[in-house]
Amino acid sequence: MKTRFRVALAQTESTAADKEANMATMKTAVTQAKKQGASLVIFPELSLTGYVVRDQIYELAEQIPGPSIRVMEKVARDANVHIVFGMPELSEKTQATVYNVSVLVGPKGCIGKYRKMYLPTHSVFEEKRYFRPGYLPAAFDTDLGKIGLIICYDIFFPEVSRLTRLAGAQLIVCISASPAVRKAFFETLTAARAIENTAFLAYVNLVGIEDGLQFWGGSRLIGPQGKIQALAKCDEPDMVFGEVDYADIRPVETFVPTLRDLRPELFEKLKEGAEKL
Amino acid sequence: MELTASVLDMDWADVETKLVRFIKDYVKKTGLNGIVLGLSGGIDSCTAAALSAKAIGGKNVLGLMLPEEETRSAEDIEHAKLVAKKFKLKTEVCDITPALEAIYGSIPVFDPSEKVCKGNVKARVRMVCWYYFANKLNRIVCGSSDKSETMMGYFTKWGDVAADIHPLMDLYKTQVRKLAQHMGVPEAIVKKPSTPALWLGQTAENELGVKYEQLDLVLYGLERFMKTEEISDQLRVNKETVRKIKNRWLAAEHKRRPLLTAKLEYRTIGTDFRLRRG
Repeated sequence: MKTRFRVALAQTESTAADKEANMATMKTAVTQAKKQGASLVIFPELSLTGYVVRDQIYELAEQIPGPSIRVMEKVARDANVHIVFGMPELSEKTQATVYNVSVLVGPKGCIGKYRKMYLPTHSVFEEKRYFRPGYLPAAFDTDLGKIGLIICYDIFFPEVSRLTRLAGAQLIVCISASPAVRKAFFETLTAARAIENTAFLAYVNLVGIEDGLQFWGGSRLIGPQGKIQALAKCDEPDMVFGEVDYADIRPVETFVPTLRDLRPELFEKLKEGAEKL
Repeated sequence: MELTASVLDMDWADVETKLVRFIKDYVKKTGLNGIVLGLSGGIDSCTAAALSAKAIGGKNVLGLMLPEEETRSAEDIEHAKLVAKKFKLKTEVCDITPALEAIYGSIPVFDPSEKVCKGNVKARVRMVCWYYFANKLNRIVCGSSDKSETMMGYFTKWGDVAADIHPLMDLYKTQVRKLAQHMGVPEAIVKKPSTPALWLGQTAENELGVKYEQLDLVLYGLERFMKTEEISDQLRVNKETVRKIKNRWLAAEHKRRPLLTAKLEYRTIGTDFRLRRG
């Protein structure tokens, strides 16, 4: 297992409802990232389909594994890299139950998926109209260590990142489709999630305009001490690289030992409080 | 939250960048040749024209000046020309007086003293001209409605608000003025009282019954779910005025969301079809 590797934050613009075009964009980015020595390439939320597809989600969603996963597995295999990207997943047990999913594929095939737990349905967002929420955190053993997956609005709920960290993830990957008006929140929360979990956090956000919504980019790799180690441009496609070195976690874990100091009994109180809200 | 003028401050360079990007992106995605817009010489249309020119180049933007006998203003035409020159727009002048007279003459019950009915014909004829040129030149129509007017329903249904994009619609009037200043729209235009020019001497503030500086703060409070009483107390505006503004805003939703039918079938236009704009 590699404990030190290069991550590519592939801040792409999606073409709405055109999976072929988006897979071509991802393939080109992977080829470019590989040339720059990346072992892991991360794309934004719903990068396979675009974020604003509304009722078309039903025709675009696929089971996992499915045809698009097969294509992305081949891209990963050919380039010998790991890839995280976003797509709508059609439940294998129903005909129109869809999840907003982050998928991790590697050179040996599909490693795992995470179904977004917190679906924003306020302001410009209408995710609960289309998606069923997931119920399980996700952290997967890979040749690049244990990688946890979360998606966009999940980052506002510290328990999601915390659960992936408690499952052993040392790198938390957050794929996102955040409009520009929310920039300040994500700038703060990405650093906070890394610090409180003493973990690396890779945040990859969409760019471009979909149905009037402008996505701001600003993708970043944050070290366990909260420092930005790689930062993409705002508002335009970009790809930046950063190094994950798990050895960096140890000094932070001793300096601010948040995991050692966890108080499980408080989580019961949290549960009680949330139920009575 | 304290309702003071500063709550309406924004980073105007950032706003300009976002709106320019929005216009450029939309024109590019439609694959059409450019923009047609009404250029009245007022603050909103001049700002929309400036943004359009910055987005796709002035040579791809046609500003239509549509004077008519009753409201013809040499000052407005001069201002429109000033902006066209500054932002290097193409312009065209069409006198719509004959078209209006033809319409008035074809309506047996036409009553010239009903100035709203008559004025709305003007707004709709202007729209007809914009779309004539848009079709002819294979372009989109860029609207210039702002958030204050749109929330208040202070526009003509199917008239001045008819357009493919509305870059200014999330900015209150006082914010449009600041954006215009930032973009170098001449000061005389920025300071000029706003008018829809549906009849002579008409001004927006007189008709709305409140100054934009105050109206925008009331609307800002309503936008953020503040209670009528809170807004009234903070701005020292009487409750009845705030209530009237709120009621007018709510009552005008039919103008902002116009496709309404009775729910009969599986997916209904205007309510359950939720498709992205291509």
